[in-house]
Amino acid sequence: MPTRVLRMPPRPALLLAILLGALPLIGSPQPMAARAAAIQAAAAGAANATLAPHAEKSLRFAVIGDSGTGEKPQYQVGEQLTESRTVFPFEFVLMLGDNIYGGERPQDYSKKFERPYQALLELKIPFYASLGNHDDPNQRFYKPFNMDGKRFYTFEKGDARFFALDSNYMDQAQQEWVEKELSASKNKWKIAFFHHPLYSSGEKHGSQVDLRATLEPLFLKYGVSVVFSGHEHFYERLKPQNGITYFTSGGAAKLREGNISSTSEMTAKGFDTDRSYMLIEIADKTMYFQALSRKGELVDSGSVEVVKSPPAPPSEAAVR
Amino acid sequence: MTLSAFVLALCLVPLAASADPVQGQSPPAPANPIGTAVLGFKERVAAYVKVHNEAEAKVPKLKETNDPAKVQSHAAALADMIRKLRPDAKEGDVFGEAFRAVLAREVRRDFLGRSAADRKALMEELPPKVKVGVNMKYPTDKPLATFPARLLQKLPELPPELEYRIVDRHIVLRDVTANVIADVARNVVPTTSS
Repeated sequence: MPTRVLRMPPRPALLLAILLGALPLIGSPQPMAARAAAIQAAAAGAANATLAPHAEKSLRFAVIGDSGTGEKPQYQVGEQLTESRTVFPFEFVLMLGDNIYGGERPQDYSKKFERPYQALLELKIPFYASLGNHDDPNQRFYKPFNMDGKRFYTFEKGDARFFALDSNYMDQAQQEWVEKELSASKNKWKIAFFHHPLYSSGEKHGSQVDLRATLEPLFLKYGVSVVFSGHEHFYERLKPQNGITYFTSGGAAKLREGNISSTSEMTAKGFDTDRSYMLIEIADKTMYFQALSRKGELVDSGSVEVVKSPPAPPSEAAVR
Repeated sequence: MTLSAFVLALCLVPLAASADPVQGQSPPAPANPIGTAVLGFKERVAAYVKVHNEAEAKVPKLKETNDPAKVQSHAAALADMIRKLRPDAKEGDVFGEAFRAVLAREVRRDFLGRSAADRKALMEELPPKVKVGVNMKYPTDKPLATFPARLLQKLPELPPELEYRIVDRHIVLRDVTANVIADVARNVVPTTSS
């Protein structure tokens, strides 16, 4: 059965503005400020179809990949991210690599990171970066990327532990580190993010089979629920692979239009006609996801349940 | 058994065999040339890391910073110091001729074990038109090709100061923090057709 790739039709911004304006403000599930921002965005030629969070107390974050071009589309996605935050107040952003394309002079950091996300940085929203093949590994010393001077690192937020890997160079030392950290984690959610996708329907790059052979057994053994990757310049949600949900979200600035293979059996949803980013909410055992275009259109949404923890090794008493 | 332990065990065999050499004869060729080549390479890597550490000690320490200029200037200062400490470094100083042959064989084997599509995908990731040479800076405006994870597992492990990278048909040893090329093994990567 052929997979379906979602191609969003252009939506007239004016119509949306009229609709938003006509809706009664009282009783709206979204806060007043958020609705006002949505109307303003629509009037300016953009929509804001961002979905509000499901739960009052939940962990919320955004995901961008292949973002650091310093060109107009990156700035537009940056603006849309800020718009989304008025409806969906996320507390941090994951970066899936290719954070700074081309030159890496101080002015490049400004043009390709600090300015496009200025509004979020001013709100003290932290960004957590992973390294892509276009990134100088010395980016790990750049404080706003929160890498703690390391090519691969881990951090905890609520019930979730995040593992930022350097998929450019999966050497023995990193593999041992991944295994040690995953096995030590008692968190309900284990989420990995790195640049190269283990599964992809991209015609340009496709799945990273070498990397998959190394990482997937560890992810399965230690109960990783969700993996985010970039590298492919589009959005793709894969059908769960061996119980793990994989997202590719590498279209926050660059676009490889029409690159998702129409014959791929792996695609659950794909979007390769415009730039995109993701918003994630974790509430207990459910992760809600939404993918949006740079125009604020909803590209994909749904939920994922946490994978059951792998069985604990038998205790000494049981072995005896 | 780890690769290092395996190589060490293999290397002890020729040492034991040559305990009583016959006077006046040239020393016998090592019974395990591959193990000897790998050990030699590891020793030269360790010697390079000593130079790297000496250079690190002579430049201001780099901590996480909001100022990317400081990151850049640290890498440049470290690179300059490394060049100063090994001004006469030339190709083959770290890889060595014997290990270069081992490396070429491993890379060729790995590539032959891949599908044509996989090989093509690998080659497409390589940065175009990058000139490489010992003590040269790796241009930060060019992408670093992802090193194939499976091949990496077959090569001797490197300390965190160094990494293997593929550039064109060459494998370079890149100093990670200084962004300097420590050595180049030329033409060890087969073309997609070979």
